Amino acid sequence: MVLLQPDPFLNELTSMFERSTEKGSVWVTLKRSSLKSKVVRNKMATAGEEIDHRCLIRATDGKKTISTSVGAKDHQRFQASYATILKARMTALKKRERKDKRKAADADKKTKVSKKKRSRAL
Amino acid sequence: MVYITSWDDFVEKSVQLFRADPESTRYTMKYRHCDGKLVLKVTDNRECLKFKTDQAQDAKKMEKLNNIFFTLMSRGPEADISEVTGKEQMEVQPAKKGRGRKQ
Repeated sequence: MVLLQPDPFLNELTSMFERSTEKGSVWVTLKRSSLKSKVVRNKMATAGEEIDHRCLIRATDGKKTISTSVGAKDHQRFQASYATILKARMTALKKRERKDKRKAADADKKTKVSKKKRSRAL
Repeated sequence: MVYITSWDDFVEKSVQLFRADPESTRYTMKYRHCDGKLVLKVTDNRECLKFKTDQAQDAKKMEKLNNIFFTLMSRGPEADISEVTGKEQMEVQPAKKGRGRKQ
């Protein structure tokens, strides 16, 4: 598990999507986490300290796992870039049925182009 | 495991699940390009909610759910998500209006 800064994470996520176009899947998990071990958390709880939470984002393609975390201040910027990546990479999903039918109809209307042969006297 | 078929149902139930146990609830999406399939899963290790699709329009809906979970997880389970869910719709609509007449 490699904990990256948000921007390198997004770059690595993009290449994960690129690597898995022909076969394989990509998983992305969001979880609320304090990024601290249970021992530390318990210690803090007994000491009455407030535990700070962030949103942990993990991604894997089955071979490699990467992760990053965003807090309350920077999550909006991250989620915008993340959404852009998803939009650019999730291109295998089906468009609406209605549009597909129209496209099929267009394909049938292919006009026949007759070829003219010209002979040139040199 | 049974997939939930209604999107709104899935969103409502997964937010409920997260709010009931923010510490152990996670939200996972799995995308398989070669089959063109997208699976969303929310679980707290006791209950598991899943949604499966192959439609591009559902990816747009997922974007909204992503925003909901980013907000809830980084700001806390009490965070106001009414703004997050409604925001995009309000931003998208004015852009379509007011650009000349169509005739």
